[in-house]
Amino acid sequence: MRNTSTVRLTVLAVGAVATALVLSSCAAPGAGSARDAPAGSTISSKVSVADVQKLGKTTLKMWADQAEEPLMKDVVPAFEKTYPNVTVDITYKSFDDLVSTVVNAAASASAPDVFQGNIGYAVDGALVKAKLVRPLDDVAKVSGWNSGTGASTLDPAKWNAAGTTFGAGALYGMSPISEVQGIYYNKSKLGALGLQPPTTIAELETDLPTAEKAGMQPIMLGNSDQYAGTHIFSDIAVTDQTPAGIRAWIGGKSGSTFETSGNVKAADTMKVWAKAGYFGSGYDGLSNQDAIAKFAKGDGVFFVGGSWNGASLTSAEFGLSSLTSGGVGATASPWHISSKTNKTAAAIAWLDMLHTPTVGQEILDTGRLPVITDGVTSKDPLQEETLTALKETIAAGTQVGYYDWTTTDMLTVMGGGLQEVMAGRTSSEDFTKTVQAAWVKGHK
Amino acid sequence: MTFVTHRRSAVAVPTGPRRRSRLTGPTWSSLPYVAPALAFFAIFVIYPICVSVQTSFYNYDGLTVATFAGFSNYVNVFADSNLRAALGHSLLLLVFYAALPVCIGLLLAGAMSRIRIYGLTVFRALLFLPQILSSVVVAVAWRGMLASDGPVNWLLRHIGLGAFATSWLGNFNTALPSIGLIGTWVEYGLCMVLFLAGIVTIDRSLYEAARLDGAGPVREFFAITLPALRPQVSIALILTITFALRNFDLIWNTTRGGPGTSTTVPSLYVYLDAFQNRQLGQASALAVVLTIIILIVVAIVQVAVREPSAHPRRTRSLRRIQRDGSAR
Repeated sequence: MRNTSTVRLTVLAVGAVATALVLSSCAAPGAGSARDAPAGSTISSKVSVADVQKLGKTTLKMWADQAEEPLMKDVVPAFEKTYPNVTVDITYKSFDDLVSTVVNAAASASAPDVFQGNIGYAVDGALVKAKLVRPLDDVAKVSGWNSGTGASTLDPAKWNAAGTTFGAGALYGMSPISEVQGIYYNKSKLGALGLQPPTTIAELETDLPTAEKAGMQPIMLGNSDQYAGTHIFSDIAVTDQTPAGIRAWIGGKSGSTFETSGNVKAADTMKVWAKAGYFGSGYDGLSNQDAIAKFAKGDGVFFVGGSWNGASLTSAEFGLSSLTSGGVGATASPWHISSKTNKTAAAIAWLDMLHTPTVGQEILDTGRLPVITDGVTSKDPLQEETLTALKETIAAGTQVGYYDWTTTDMLTVMGGGLQEVMAGRTSSEDFTKTVQAAWVKGHK
Repeated sequence: MTFVTHRRSAVAVPTGPRRRSRLTGPTWSSLPYVAPALAFFAIFVIYPICVSVQTSFYNYDGLTVATFAGFSNYVNVFADSNLRAALGHSLLLLVFYAALPVCIGLLLAGAMSRIRIYGLTVFRALLFLPQILSSVVVAVAWRGMLASDGPVNWLLRHIGLGAFATSWLGNFNTALPSIGLIGTWVEYGLCMVLFLAGIVTIDRSLYEAARLDGAGPVREFFAITLPALRPQVSIALILTITFALRNFDLIWNTTRGGPGTSTTVPSLYVYLDAFQNRQLGQASALAVVLTIIILIVVAIVQVAVREPSAHPRRTRSLRRIQRDGSAR
């Protein structure tokens, strides 16, 4: 009896599975969601209040990074005042959530009109390839984005039509916020050691043993997220090769390679510094967030990192040196206009407003760095130093962006690989070989 | 006892009502009653599984039209040395996530059932607590505990074992076992509660009989408690093994697979392929393989822990004890 009921159950189960299989195998996944190139018209003059008025009473739906919330508290009321028929409705997501869900949201039937992506293949590349975002060259032209201090910061949001290489091509996004890499230092510790703030990697290198011998941890590093190490690596690597070459590699330019003597030397340097104890011990078990918190409490002489870490530091105790030799740094998550939106005028007006000196000042006042630096001033010394670092680095043209933009899995491959190099488990040559193999796989 | 005897005779000699119900076709006539549940199950469980299986045969980025890939995604699963290493890590985690919790659970349950402890409910609740906590909370808490300047190292330094202090999750050699021990801490409470519930159903007279026969606590545990807990051990193993093989959240929130690739597991790659690399076909293939592996391991466990004979479980241990008792 048990046997017959088992047989029946099996028959039922097999039947259900077969039915579902037939149902699901009607078409290849994604079929039917294919769309034509966005039809929308281009603009030839700035969007006016009257243009937006034509939309009637409307709501502009947006998705944004949680980090934008303080800034949005200033911008949204101003926007709604200028364009009274528009209500702004922003859904905030943590950065991790945003990058892992925004592409699917943009592809859905209820896509937000305006949203933030992230530079690189994982998000922006997918958006461009699937034609989910509107090209913005016309907006850039009439709004004057292509001139002034912010012009070069648009490059990482430019893509070829196929969505396979970036850095040049049509513009698909705009970020009003910039990021810069520098050397944060603990003023009192530096004073006790009798050192001047280092302004180059070479100067930093000569200071490290001094700090180490004095019993202080030279560099505070938290590398459990695997990216902080690659940022320092990038700062070292760029001192020995042209930023343009690194940018081409990150942008996916065919024929580029990571197996350069500069990268091998930089990996060697990381290994030597790690072995000498310049990063202290246990950095692989410490998150970047925990590391900056420890640095803020007085552990470590230097913190080599991006401007987003500055929010935790006070200007009384800490300073920032610019690294004009360059390294990581670029713009934050760019804003995009959905190719599906029927509120294009309002969406363009929104981007236009973000790219103004007024908002630039508000960005600085809320603790971040604007791409428009002309006429933006700061009362806080550390913030002023960060702004100077940004201006100097942009003037030097040495920012390379971020390595993990280049393929979707590069953060894991390079971040994990560098951990192995620093622990002395892999040679620098094998490291560059592995990274290049992943790059080739991602760009075939 | 009488109930069991009755059932056994019913099986041997089918009675009237039993036959009749069989003639009317119990399965098909009852179908309308289970149809809502079956439909729910088909839509929310079977259908997604089928879509996963289907997707695994395509190259699909989740946006543009997929192209048929044949078995290439499956070939990649087995050819990728990183994935093989990840599977190896999972097997080691089985020891920490399944074997250790079951052993600790048995030990605690055995002790708690024997010794009368005041405030037993409180202890039980406290020991079960790790199971209730969100795994992100667990991960963040343990990240702090195991940090190079965390409480674990503080303790080691204060009892003269400072030489062993290390950044537990940041060290290539200790990261995986450390995560394993976090898993042990999460899972043992579940095992203990399962076993305690099982122990309650054991006839106390068996223990009295054993004690009269001069059995000590250890003998009592192995002769009565452990055999009677066979079904609970089986369930505990299935739950913990499934947890071990599909574990993702603990690892993602402690090490993200690092340092290097020392704590990667297959489900980590499922996540990375699906949400980071936008290779949904590859992610689905890996998920399908992982599901099959879990099913196979669970089947092996069920066979291994199964009662050696086909008799109803409780009766057998009962009868054996009684037989042993009367023979004496």
